[in-house]
Amino acid sequence: MATRSSYQNRIELLQGTLDMLILKTLQWGAQHGYGISQAIRVTSGEVLQVETGSLYPALHRLERQGWVTAEWKQSESNQRAKFYKITKLGKEQLASDYERWEKMVATIEAIMTSRRGVV
Amino acid sequence: MKMLEILRRKTELREEIESHLRMATADRVARGESPVDARRAAVREFGNVPLVADVTRERWGWLRLERLAQDLRFALRQLRRTPAFTTTVLLTLALGIGANAAIFSLVNAVLLKNLPVSDPKRLVRLGDNSHDCCVGRNGTREEGAYSNFSTDTYVRLKQSLPEFEELAAMQAGWAYRPVIARRDGAQNEARSVTAEFVSGNYFATFGLRPGAGRLLIDADDLPGAPATAVMSYETWQHEFNGDTAIVGSTFWVNTKPLTVVGVAPRGFFGDRMAVTPPDFYLPIQTMASLANASYVNDPETNWLYIIGRVKPEVPPALLQEKVNAVLRQAFAMQRDFSTVNGKSFLARVHATLTPGGEGIQTMQEGYGFQLHLLMWIAGVVLLIACANIANLLLVRGMGRRTEMSVRLALGAMRGRIVRQLLTESILLASLGGLLGLALAYGGSRMLLVLAFPGAQNVPIEATPSLAVIGFAFALSVLTGILFGVAPAWISAQARPADALRSGTRTTVSGTSLLQRTLVVLQAALSLVLLVGAGLFSQSLGKLQNTDLRLDARNRYIVHINPQAAGYSGIQLEALYRTIEDRFHAVPGVVKVGISTYAPMEDNRWSNYIMVQRDPGAKGLAGFVRANADYFNSVGTKVVMGRGFDPRDTSNAPSVAVVNQAFQQKFFGGKNPIGQRIGFPDSPGDFEIVGVVDNTVYTDVHLKDDPMYFVPMMQRPASDKSPIERDISLYAGTIVLETAQPIDGMERIASKILPASTQI
Repeated sequence: MATRSSYQNRIELLQGTLDMLILKTLQWGAQHGYGISQAIRVTSGEVLQVETGSLYPALHRLERQGWVTAEWKQSESNQRAKFYKITKLGKEQLASDYERWEKMVATIEAIMTSRRGVV
Repeated sequence: MKMLEILRRKTELREEIESHLRMATADRVARGESPVDARRAAVREFGNVPLVADVTRERWGWLRLERLAQDLRFALRQLRRTPAFTTTVLLTLALGIGANAAIFSLVNAVLLKNLPVSDPKRLVRLGDNSHDCCVGRNGTREEGAYSNFSTDTYVRLKQSLPEFEELAAMQAGWAYRPVIARRDGAQNEARSVTAEFVSGNYFATFGLRPGAGRLLIDADDLPGAPATAVMSYETWQHEFNGDTAIVGSTFWVNTKPLTVVGVAPRGFFGDRMAVTPPDFYLPIQTMASLANASYVNDPETNWLYIIGRVKPEVPPALLQEKVNAVLRQAFAMQRDFSTVNGKSFLARVHATLTPGGEGIQTMQEGYGFQLHLLMWIAGVVLLIACANIANLLLVRGMGRRTEMSVRLALGAMRGRIVRQLLTESILLASLGGLLGLALAYGGSRMLLVLAFPGAQNVPIEATPSLAVIGFAFALSVLTGILFGVAPAWISAQARPADALRSGTRTTVSGTSLLQRTLVVLQAALSLVLLVGAGLFSQSLGKLQNTDLRLDARNRYIVHINPQAAGYSGIQLEALYRTIEDRFHAVPGVVKVGISTYAPMEDNRWSNYIMVQRDPGAKGLAGFVRANADYFNSVGTKVVMGRGFDPRDTSNAPSVAVVNQAFQQKFFGGKNPIGQRIGFPDSPGDFEIVGVVDNTVYTDVHLKDDPMYFVPMMQRPASDKSPIERDISLYAGTIVLETAQPIDGMERIASKILPASTQI
């Protein structure tokens, strides 16, 4: 139960951001599914926990889109695992996703910090 | 290829998930958890493994295909679990569909198919029936409809009807008159083959291309042209192995030489459907010399059917009128129509124009009724089969309601359940349809063999057509869907809890009404079929028990054709005596009957007869010429007076023997002996000397047909026409009665008979 409680204040991922997070994680190098979920969890300071139920479908979707490629390799712990690698197309996608994300954050920020009736 | 890819992806995914779980477990073990707990926690954290796998695979878009395979596997398992149900449904379907497809294939082939000719829609036949068969004089007719014509009439029609691109004529009765053909060369044997005499433009009219060499042209059909012939494709292939040397080679037909100029196209079996299609096509003008037929150029003898290719945009009504007008002109010149009485019939003379694309419909007329009957019976069988299957499916569906409820309660989607049942029904129906097709193929072959016993090249294909296959499949699938899914739908509508609680009682009333309706329908249809079958077997039994009034023990029938062999009328009496003498010399031969036709042969003559002392007694009567031994040799009993004897020669007074049906029809059952009968213009030609039993001629349906018999060579005094023109004098059969069965009768007969008279 201890493991479970530490994720209690996690937040739900915004629609469409999972792909971007996966691609970003893969920018640092090829990684397997478990590694990706761990990386996101650690990087987010244990706030974001990627559901396996969405991770694997997302990975296969990205593979089909051609944004990542996959390859079976030995992991650092000497396990056979499927490693995903970002492609050139994936990098472009990440850039455009990020740009859109920033725009959205700025817009939301603007709305949230504006004062009523000032417009 | 795709299936393999799917399988590979599937195992990979399983491996990937497994490696995820292993790594998660390893991390937890490193943090100090026990391996068993770590594994359990990792799996719990991962969530629903199969669901994740499903959702992931869905990203590849293959899940539908996989589900279909699953459904199919499950459906097969379900069907295997209830073998009695499955077998019953499959057999019922196979029978219903198979019978329909087989019979429809046959109907399609016999009744609906056009001749394999170009643009069959533009072909028009002059005349509408095949009762006008073979060879005969016009005669005046009340209704005035004619379907066969003389060479003269044909030529006149051809010249006066520019509305036809081509107008072809063909021998009406070739099927009854085989010829003897032998390929030139000492080692080749003579064989009896079928040949059809046709006009020179015959093949051009049908728009055909030769299979080899060339086809007949108008020049072949001119008087005095070198004798030519076209061979049928089947004969070329089967008898001569498609030998190209056939083109241009010499054949001896009825002992006269001719050149085969070409081969008819493949798949062309002549202008009508026949059990034995023609082997040779010969020009009309060669008939006089080849078949010794004097009627070819007799303007009064009708022996040709006519089919023409109409020019586009000729209005049919106009054409009909014009044809009739030309016919009347032609008929006006003839004897029968030049008398005062005859002229009054002239206005009614016509030939109904009918579509010619399907050819001369002899067989269609002959089998049409039976085929339609078969089609109705098969249709009813199919309906019963469908009702039966519907019922079985309904009962099964109701029986599985609890199962469905449980599955619903466990969270199965209704759509998924309905889809599963749909798969099951369609699978069942398709399997049934396939079985039915196999049955149809075998069935139509069997029907063909039954219909054409012994025919080596049947002009009909047994393969069910695409339309039939489609029809059969659609029907089976529709039945399956309708009655397989209905119960599923009903139970899927019910709330699972209700269904589970009360078993099958809640919705039973609605379906039992449907079930009851089906049972009633089934029973009603079965009753109809039963009554039909009962009537059918009764009439079959009657036919089987018909007393044909003849004796078949130790009898042999030899067919001859002295006309084709070149014997002229005056030579015949001597020929018949020779035949009688030679057969009597064979040990064991008791009686030698010679006649134009024997009982139960598929043809005979028929004449309009009148009683001299009672002009009111007139009508059609069957006519057979026979020699002295004939009645004894076929086993026909003489019930009154005498039969023929050797004194009834051509010089003796003309006599006749009539059968009891004739006695009844023309004399009201009174003693006819000593009375005279004849044709309307000479009613005193023959004196009746005896009455015989009603032996069945032509067809078992004609068992009480009035008939009269005349000695082989006796011609009435009033008949002044030259003996050469009387083709009724040519005998067709020799009936031999022997004391005991004789082996090798065929060989003996061929040794005894004067060469070339035999068939």
